[in-house]
Amino acid sequence: MATRIRDNRITSSAMQIYLDYSATTPCHPEVISTVQLVLSEHWGNPSSLHVWGERAAWVLEQARMQVADLIQAPLESIVFTSGGTESNNLALHGVASRFEQPQHLIISGVEHSSISNAAQQLAQGGWQVTCLPVDPQGRVQPLALQRALRSNTVLVSVIYGQSEVGTLQPIPALAEIAHRHGAYFHTDAVQAAGRIRLDVQALGVDLLSLSSHKFYGSQGAGALYVRPGLDLVPLLAGGGQEGNLRSGTPGLPAIAAMGHAAHLAAQNLAAESVRLTALRDRLYGRLADNLLLVPTGDPQQRLPHHLSFWVRWPQTGRRSSQPPLSGKAVVRQMNLAGIAISSGSACHSGKLTPSPVLLAMGLSETAASAGLRITLGRETTEADLDWTAMVLEQVLTRLTESKIPAAV
Amino acid sequence: MPSRPIYLDHQATTPVDPRVLEAMLPYFTDCPGNPSSLSHGYGWEASAAVKYAREQIASAIHAQPEALLFTSGATEANNLAIKGVAEAYFQKGRHLITVQTEHSAVLEPCRYLQSLGFEVTFLPVQPDGLLELSLLEQAIRPETILVSVMAANNEIGVLQPLSEIGAICHRHQVLFHTDAAQALTKVPLDVAAMQIDLMSLTAHKIYGPKGIGALYVRQRQPRVRLAPQVHGGGQERGWRSGTLATPQIVGFAKAVELGLAAAETEQPYLAQLRDQLWRQLRSQEGIHLNGHPTQRLAGCLNISVEGVDGQALLLALQPKVALSSGSACASGKTSPSHVLLALGREPALAAATLRFGLGRLNTPREIDQAAACAIAAIQALRKTPSAQWVPG
Repeated sequence: MATRIRDNRITSSAMQIYLDYSATTPCHPEVISTVQLVLSEHWGNPSSLHVWGERAAWVLEQARMQVADLIQAPLESIVFTSGGTESNNLALHGVASRFEQPQHLIISGVEHSSISNAAQQLAQGGWQVTCLPVDPQGRVQPLALQRALRSNTVLVSVIYGQSEVGTLQPIPALAEIAHRHGAYFHTDAVQAAGRIRLDVQALGVDLLSLSSHKFYGSQGAGALYVRPGLDLVPLLAGGGQEGNLRSGTPGLPAIAAMGHAAHLAAQNLAAESVRLTALRDRLYGRLADNLLLVPTGDPQQRLPHHLSFWVRWPQTGRRSSQPPLSGKAVVRQMNLAGIAISSGSACHSGKLTPSPVLLAMGLSETAASAGLRITLGRETTEADLDWTAMVLEQVLTRLTESKIPAAV
Repeated sequence: MPSRPIYLDHQATTPVDPRVLEAMLPYFTDCPGNPSSLSHGYGWEASAAVKYAREQIASAIHAQPEALLFTSGATEANNLAIKGVAEAYFQKGRHLITVQTEHSAVLEPCRYLQSLGFEVTFLPVQPDGLLELSLLEQAIRPETILVSVMAANNEIGVLQPLSEIGAICHRHQVLFHTDAAQALTKVPLDVAAMQIDLMSLTAHKIYGPKGIGALYVRQRQPRVRLAPQVHGGGQERGWRSGTLATPQIVGFAKAVELGLAAAETEQPYLAQLRDQLWRQLRSQEGIHLNGHPTQRLAGCLNISVEGVDGQALLLALQPKVALSSGSACASGKTSPSHVLLALGREPALAAATLRFGLGRLNTPREIDQAAACAIAAIQALRKTPSAQWVPG
């Protein structure tokens, strides 16, 4: 792919089909107009008392209302952050720092790194951290949570929609168990938001993380739902914005984009999830006709736009003793063919180790290095997917024949 | 529709330059990649744009690009610098030094560290807002790990002597952090020559977008260790996890480029406007300039007014002139500014303060109008029965 710098802008050519909507989504065209309006007109500091400040504050509060509506939450429960990672860190740090002495935290084995690494940080500070096992579909069993609870368990954090394998967790059941024990419950709903219906009351969660750029808002904004009445210690100290929970001048353009995107997502969610589920199942059917696919994640309880699998062999039964192809090699070849898919989460894409999520689900190291993820979105069409299926078959066949290095 | 007030609050935030907006838009539309998606071209494009922006911003402060990490703004950069150094160096010592006139995004993290058992010295300033260097030198102890002094004050515009502070810190082998949110592109910043180890930057004070900032972290002589405060995907070499906001980063770089290109003409122009404003205001009695008369930002004029109620003065001006009494973050608060109290202003006088923040688009005519409005409002308020002001 040609990349060049022209007029301070880096442009490219030749990319055709984007199927990595779990890594990031392009801004919705209507959202872009909002961003443009905020940047050119509503650029005031929302804390200022004059007319520019008032207008910016109005933009901020409108976005808060739109995000609150997406998850059926009260207005005052939404804290804007710089993104999903900050939201997750704020949730864990915010609860943990309330305790003078280290306590016990429970997370699952299939969390995003912004939870698992934040938990690891707490562990270094003396916290006990339990990582719940998952079943082969990537689901946390409520019984496993029940067993893991200790007298000093203060927080349970389980991801709602898993980004690599698409599995949805039984959040209401897990939250209830945590609450019965007197612990707070947080869920990372970054992948779920805008893709399935979210209702913080029905889910029964105390804290829920969102990220704008996963539902056609722009990068640079996220939010944390904080159940009214729950006190958190802020990550960022300073001017006391966002009800003292998050200091710093709010990143208004991205926040306004998030609000607008949340509004659009709430409107389109029902129809779009049906459309994407049908497209996804069709793609899976096409691929499974000619390839020996091993799906990963839960076949039913999963994100509607999400397909993940590893490929045993292009043709059934051939050389079945040989290890599968490395997911990264396949992704690279697909990219050369103009199709963007991924082998795991974007944050992990620079690394060469097998996927920790697939390992946690009990896959062997070789299988865990062979994982592929195809995630669909707004602009995905049937024709895109038919082409993708055809190219993927070709790529796999060629790679097999040319003995490209197999998975580690 | 009534005409808009004259915008004189450029220390709170600035409008986004149309050229910045233009540079950002393609990254919302054509190149939506996640810069961490290293396996396909969409990610490469975003990643290349971030790399280019990092080089531009780093060169503005004479830093190596790999020493610059992006944050959501100056508040996050300040928090990361202060808490990150405290956490990484607490075995060496648990003492920090800062100044009473710092922004709350420095003071509050310091207070947070106090609650964890760190000791913090909050140095006083002289009546003109400048730090007395001998006091700094005396305050440094063997267990001091960080000195944090802002480059340009957000309320009074006073410029601290960074080179001298840098020299003292390095002589004592203490790390030096500066919050340069208000100074970037307006005064020369050179992390090498000024011996600065950490520097906080933000885009929305220089006609860039909100929601993006950066922290410079010195990489050699000495190599600064920093404990990350946000954990996750390990972006920004592990210092600061989270998907990078590509459009904002591109806009930040463009704003820096424009600011530097215009600095030579813009700063003298702003100083001229500021002096014009001050000449007119000082014709009234009982008006006091806050901060050093020359060693300050060209675009900042902060005055305290005798014999008027501060809130009433601000309210009277709001329809004509958009300005503030101090930090925007503290707008909702009614207590007098901690900066003015540190200068030794009486609380009553400090409570009647106007901060005029001049910017690129202001005209001499607007300045005349603003001065006339302010003078009229001051005179009217002084005549109200409750004022009882007698010229001293």
